[in-house]
Amino acid sequence: MNGTELGWLEVGTSVLLVAVAVLVAAHQRLGLSKDVLLAAVRAFVQLVAVGMVLVVIFEHGGALGALGWVVLMVVIAGQVAGRRGKGVPRAKIIATVSVASGAGVALAVLLLLDVFPGRPSVIVPIGGMIVANSMQAVGLVLLRLAEHVDDSRAEIEARLSLGMDSAEAFGPHRRSAARAALLPAIDATKVVGLISLPGAMTGLILAGVDPLTAIRYQIVVMYMILGAAALAAAVAVHLGQRRLFDQAQRLRV
Amino acid sequence: MPRAAGGGAVLAMPASRWGTTLRESVRHRVSRGARLMSRTQGGSGVAEEHAFAIDEVVLRRGDTTVLDRVSLRVPVGRCTALVGRSGSGKSTLLRVLTRLAEPDSGAVYYRGVPVAEWDVLELRRRVQLVAQNPVLLAGTAAEEVAVGAGALGEERIAELLGRVGLDAGLAGRETAALSGGEAQRLALARSLALEPDVLLLDEPTAALDSESATAIENAVRSLVRNNVTVLLVSHATEQVRRIADHAAVLVAGRVADSGPPGELTYLEETA
Repeated sequence: MNGTELGWLEVGTSVLLVAVAVLVAAHQRLGLSKDVLLAAVRAFVQLVAVGMVLVVIFEHGGALGALGWVVLMVVIAGQVAGRRGKGVPRAKIIATVSVASGAGVALAVLLLLDVFPGRPSVIVPIGGMIVANSMQAVGLVLLRLAEHVDDSRAEIEARLSLGMDSAEAFGPHRRSAARAALLPAIDATKVVGLISLPGAMTGLILAGVDPLTAIRYQIVVMYMILGAAALAAAVAVHLGQRRLFDQAQRLRV
Repeated sequence: MPRAAGGGAVLAMPASRWGTTLRESVRHRVSRGARLMSRTQGGSGVAEEHAFAIDEVVLRRGDTTVLDRVSLRVPVGRCTALVGRSGSGKSTLLRVLTRLAEPDSGAVYYRGVPVAEWDVLELRRRVQLVAQNPVLLAGTAAEEVAVGAGALGEERIAELLGRVGLDAGLAGRETAALSGGEAQRLALARSLALEPDVLLLDEPTAALDSESATAIENAVRSLVRNNVTVLLVSHATEQVRRIADHAAVLVAGRVADSGPPGELTYLEETA
């Protein structure tokens, strides 16, 4: 990296902007001065802590340590996405398995086909992006599945009563949940570069990487997010449906 | 729910008084019930004579006992009415019969075989449950009639529409544009398309215009003549007297009384 090296002195200087925020809050009597300070301190502490952990993983953890970090992210993502699925039995387990499937396959493809080198400094940020986007897709799937069961119970049971099995009776709702989960990733992919300059690309450019290299990274990132989110959503839809219905082809909840 | 003001006053009695009244009433009606059973069973005493045999079914939802040791025989090829106030467990009982709901205890036999041993999809095709407010599932009336049965010819669709008193010209109409009565009749037609052995009708004519109600009653009568078994949940006392061969009264999840509709004094009070 030969770009603008950011030192602790420069970070210290940027505290001026926190002071601006605090002054604005105080002047307008927003009652938020304390919150602004607290948020600034929290961000500092969290990022320094994560930075130190990453230093340790990058220097001593090797690829296995990095994958361990990704596993930890998957577990946390499973808890977060699973909370969206109130009303879906075992939502957190479904979410964890789904995120793990999407992230695992995407990461395996990228590393095994040598798209990215298997270095910790690559695995951790790439894994993070994949896990975060899979988490979003899975959370949306579970949210929609729970909503459909709430709103469309009569419709689902009408189909079951006509002798359809649960897969057929739930088909329209399953497809609707999967569509809803994938639209954000598809939209983001459509407008990338036009409306948003995504984080990975911005970061590379800031760090002095030539824009054409940066966009190559970004293209791969968008494709892997699409693939991981689609796979995670598909697994979540499948597992969710299986948990929503029992052997007697009826809603369990 | 439509019900006579006098009936409402009776039903507002405290539970303990109900209990006493019911016990007395049940005791004095047991012999008549037994006589009726033996007639429909042909004296053999085995459950195969019945479409459904329901024994001591209990279903709880949270702290509420929705069905409290319900026992009932549904004879083949007859129309049996299930009457009772809303919340007395009638709809839940219909759901138990097609396994949309699972009882906590008790046994349900269809054609002498426990319902759990039937292939559930086959059971649901043979035993068509028509919900109280059926949801239409397809774009046009013709598609709606065929939604469960699969591809049907034009003639067959016209015939099915005719059986529920709907004009064949309705086939191309958008289901979203149908009246409540037309929708209810269409839901019955889509069930009839499966040629079921048993129809479970949950308040099929509640809140319908008289033309639709009459059409549904005629359809039910014609089905029973053709040996289809009908179990009808109804609030309408007159309707029960018109089309049911046999009625059972559910009160707070229990069968309080059963027999020919004309002899049931509870009918007035609960309907």
